[in-house]
Amino acid sequence: MTSTVPHQVSPFLDPGRRTKADSLAILQLSRDDFVPVYLQSTVGEHDGYAEGAVTNTRFGSFPHSTLLNVPWGSQIRASKVDTGSRGRKRKRGVTEEADGPSSEATENVVAEKEDGTANGTTKQAVADSSGFIHILPPTPEIWTTSLPHRTQVVYTPDYSYILQRIRARPGTTIIEAGAGSGSFTHASVRAVYNGYPGDGKRKGKVVSFEFNEERYHKMKKEILDHGLEGLVTLTHRDVYRDGFLLDGKSPEADAVFLDLPAPWEALPHLTRRGGKDGETERVSPLHPKKTVHICTFSPCIEQVTRTVSTLRHLGWVDIEMVEIAHRKLHTLRERVGLNLPVDRGVNNSPRDVEEALGRLAEIEERLRETIARPRTDGDDEDMEDEKPAVDAEKKMDAPELLKYMWQDGRLVTRMEPEIKSHTSYLVFAVLPVEWTAEDEAAALEKYPVGGEQKVVGQLDRKTRKEERRQLLEQQKANKSGGKRARRKARDERIAATSGDPA
Amino acid sequence: MYSAILPNSWVVLKLPTGVTRTITISPNTTISLGKYGSFPANLLIGRPYYVTYEIQDKRPDEEFSRLRIVPTEELYAEIFADEAAPNCSTPAAEATDAVLSAKDGVEFSLVDAESGDVVTKSSREVIDENARQTLTQEEIEELKQKGNNAGKDVIAKLLLSHTAIDQKTSYSLAKYKLLKTKKYVRRFQIVPVDAPNLAHWQLEDREASKIMDMRAEMMALVGCWGNVHYGGEPVFLEDPKATTDQGEEACAPIQQDLLKGRWLVVDDTGGMLVAAMAERMGILYTQEEESDDSFREATVKEEEAVETQGEDVDTEMADGQETVAAKKTEDEGKPKNKNRPSDFAIPFSQTNTITVVHGASQPNLSFLNYWNFDATSPNHPPHPLLNHLLNLSWLQLVKPELDTSYSTPPLKATPEVLSSWKPTRRGNFHRKRRRYARIRFIVDSARAGGFSGLVCASTMDPVSILKHTLPLIDGGAPIAIYSPTLEPLAALADLFSVSRRTAWTSGSVPEIADKTAEELERWEGSEDFPLNPMLLLGTSIQTSRARRWQVLPGRTHPLMTERGGTDGYIFTAWKAKPADGRIAARGRFKRRKTEPDSSAMVEAVETPASS
Repeated sequence: MTSTVPHQVSPFLDPGRRTKADSLAILQLSRDDFVPVYLQSTVGEHDGYAEGAVTNTRFGSFPHSTLLNVPWGSQIRASKVDTGSRGRKRKRGVTEEADGPSSEATENVVAEKEDGTANGTTKQAVADSSGFIHILPPTPEIWTTSLPHRTQVVYTPDYSYILQRIRARPGTTIIEAGAGSGSFTHASVRAVYNGYPGDGKRKGKVVSFEFNEERYHKMKKEILDHGLEGLVTLTHRDVYRDGFLLDGKSPEADAVFLDLPAPWEALPHLTRRGGKDGETERVSPLHPKKTVHICTFSPCIEQVTRTVSTLRHLGWVDIEMVEIAHRKLHTLRERVGLNLPVDRGVNNSPRDVEEALGRLAEIEERLRETIARPRTDGDDEDMEDEKPAVDAEKKMDAPELLKYMWQDGRLVTRMEPEIKSHTSYLVFAVLPVEWTAEDEAAALEKYPVGGEQKVVGQLDRKTRKEERRQLLEQQKANKSGGKRARRKARDERIAATSGDPA
Repeated sequence: MYSAILPNSWVVLKLPTGVTRTITISPNTTISLGKYGSFPANLLIGRPYYVTYEIQDKRPDEEFSRLRIVPTEELYAEIFADEAAPNCSTPAAEATDAVLSAKDGVEFSLVDAESGDVVTKSSREVIDENARQTLTQEEIEELKQKGNNAGKDVIAKLLLSHTAIDQKTSYSLAKYKLLKTKKYVRRFQIVPVDAPNLAHWQLEDREASKIMDMRAEMMALVGCWGNVHYGGEPVFLEDPKATTDQGEEACAPIQQDLLKGRWLVVDDTGGMLVAAMAERMGILYTQEEESDDSFREATVKEEEAVETQGEDVDTEMADGQETVAAKKTEDEGKPKNKNRPSDFAIPFSQTNTITVVHGASQPNLSFLNYWNFDATSPNHPPHPLLNHLLNLSWLQLVKPELDTSYSTPPLKATPEVLSSWKPTRRGNFHRKRRRYARIRFIVDSARAGGFSGLVCASTMDPVSILKHTLPLIDGGAPIAIYSPTLEPLAALADLFSVSRRTAWTSGSVPEIADKTAEELERWEGSEDFPLNPMLLLGTSIQTSRARRWQVLPGRTHPLMTERGGTDGYIFTAWKAKPADGRIAARGRFKRRKTEPDSSAMVEAVETPASS
């Protein structure tokens, strides 16, 4: 995977209108099946494929030449790719990479890095008779559902709510501890992004910390590949012990997200006064002049109780705990009826009482006929003759049958078969700006009290009436009666004087 | 957001009862909170948000009440005391209670798991029905009139005067105290007016239907699924330097490649949705906090306010009008341009914009007033929304030729004729030309399409909205439609069902037989297929709800009551660009070669992108 050129805007933030080489794209195989791919433009044979870089899915093979420079959202046909002989060739030639994409590979196939052995000409891709995928630009939502490495994931319903509650907006500096799988990192970068740094102005950024070394390296690479350098600062650190400063300097954060097993151990670092290390005065990682919003993400109620208690002792206010219940709903056609063809998902029982009555009456009638008729030997045959006649009457004709496929039946919704009934408890809190007696004295001097002229808010009726009366009188005195009337008068004057326009 | 309360800004005020109110903090006024008292507004200006203020008793020599910031130790004093005493039982809980455990089958008693102690008493000891508050209403009133230490004295007296206070369990005692505190303590909190706070106020304390019952959860989800974010540095079209005798031919052409990061919005929430989106795009607040000195900021703001008041006198009357565009360029920090831009200069940014399509002749964006933006004001003080918010009516979008202001060519006049006119007429001439250029740009750029997303919260049928807007959305761009009720979204999702798509691709829809993909994108629809079912990918309906909990030592549980009504639903999808011609799906269970026709009709076959 080649890293993106610096200053190229991340495809998450601005994908452009068409797919580009050396950039991330998402292949949508089916509804919830996404495959992230780094598109490559290769010349000549690549990794055994005559077509250059190829991504194989269960819906066919897709040479990157067919995926490049197409509008996003395009439906792409599968191509005829010789996957069989390639495997044999590779076995003969000694390659260190053992797990190349196999022809049957389905999940998370990422084309390998170009090894520089490309030579000769690239074979033109030939469209296959069947199979297609769609190509989508990456977004935090898709990335979250297609995460290649799954640790604990903060899903869209949670992160959307969290980012709104902690006021992550363009320009915010957000501390994230426990980068984890990176789903929250991507979502928060999008929220705080207001341009790449460089022009001297302070820009929104994500200050991320990860304790697990393996995940740290994975994330580091991901940030590079996704063009998010400069927007995300990832540090490998134990924040319980070492806090949130960057090279001893304050990141001046105004929003914090803690996805840690013991948030209360990290909280003492997040005060206005910095850490509690007795001897050395530490700077606070928080922005001194801004309200700071925090969210902690913990699955257990015991963690919440402890976190909330610590937050209270550290002077946070507006502490609130919520739990997000998210439901996906499926729509389907519920088909019930006697005259419907026998098919999957069709209930061939009466649609309503009338239909049931009709059938019952019919059965009764037939029964009476049978009883009334004298018994003969050919009785059974007669019955068989009659049956198809009834069915034929009920059967739909061809166009009706076709319509039945998508229009018949009652439209109903139901919940998805499996729901995430608990993700985590979200604790929110706010740390107001520190306000000292000196600040108060200065503010009092700037905005002296005692010269109040008007009362706003809840007024008694008498005062309100008096005010209204005064206002009306004033308007009358002005004669013109406000801006609108002035403007109207002016328009009239213009209409009278100007005559025909130009 | 601002770090301190600015003069003349809107704020949300939270009272102890949980009631919120929005007020403007105008300098040199008195803010009255009814029974909680009143205080000078100047005591709030320049002060921080989110802290709890207490209205103090009037000093003997002063006519007004001063405010005090309540330290958090005081706010949490009782909770800390509870934490210190792990078994939060009442003093009346006697030793006999300790032997009772859950095993004894005593109902309604809570047992501490570690010690086995009963934390609450059961309902066995019924509080005497005659137990009551001995203070009369008159006595309470009298107490309130006197200086009473911000209501705290009243509460203490009330507790002391209750005859059965010692029989109450810790739970009912806590409840009683909370009730009285809400009623008498003279405290409040000031929070900034931002989209979630304002929506919360509208939802809980005003008319929820005005914002279509849109909860914070749904507002956040719509923003994320709509992929709404900062869309790039503002880019402006070059001034075509049109002279006054040039007509529409002088208008700057639309440059497709410059248009980036634009969202199309249909908003029937009175501007709440637009505000939430503008917040996500960084164009809602007049100034971002760059300066360290919040006081200086505050004063600058105040001076500005004074200036704008002066400007209120209709400056358009004068010849030397300052156009909105001219102001904007100043706002962007560019050097002051002595030469006024020509009438056809487009004041709108090409990037990071919101395009609002409205059903009436004017958009209803009244909630934006809370951020000091008035969409109808002709002479607006600088605001980032001015050149990032574009609005047009459905008529202008769908049939612009029927719209008078779009289809009437601009006025023309030679400089000589122009200079012979009176200033008022000249002003009007320029105003009309500027308006023509603006409308023309908005309509043409909207119809050029290429939007980065579509976000809707509308009372209109979503099918009809999509019919006209889908062709304008860029490939791969998201669509997020909010609705307070599920049914319209279910009907919409049904138009993209698997069986419909298979019927479409298998050639059983005769109307579309020899149309290209491009023609089908703008297809007007038929009775059976109101929309082209191939234009959306991954259609899905979801809902989300936050359940709030009370977290107190030993008393943690979900809140007993919450707002009912509707949860709200959103429909999400991505715009697809279907390939030309027929494409057969490939199933998982089939071998390489699949008969296209057989697979198309069998529903059981898994089709890619089935939704």
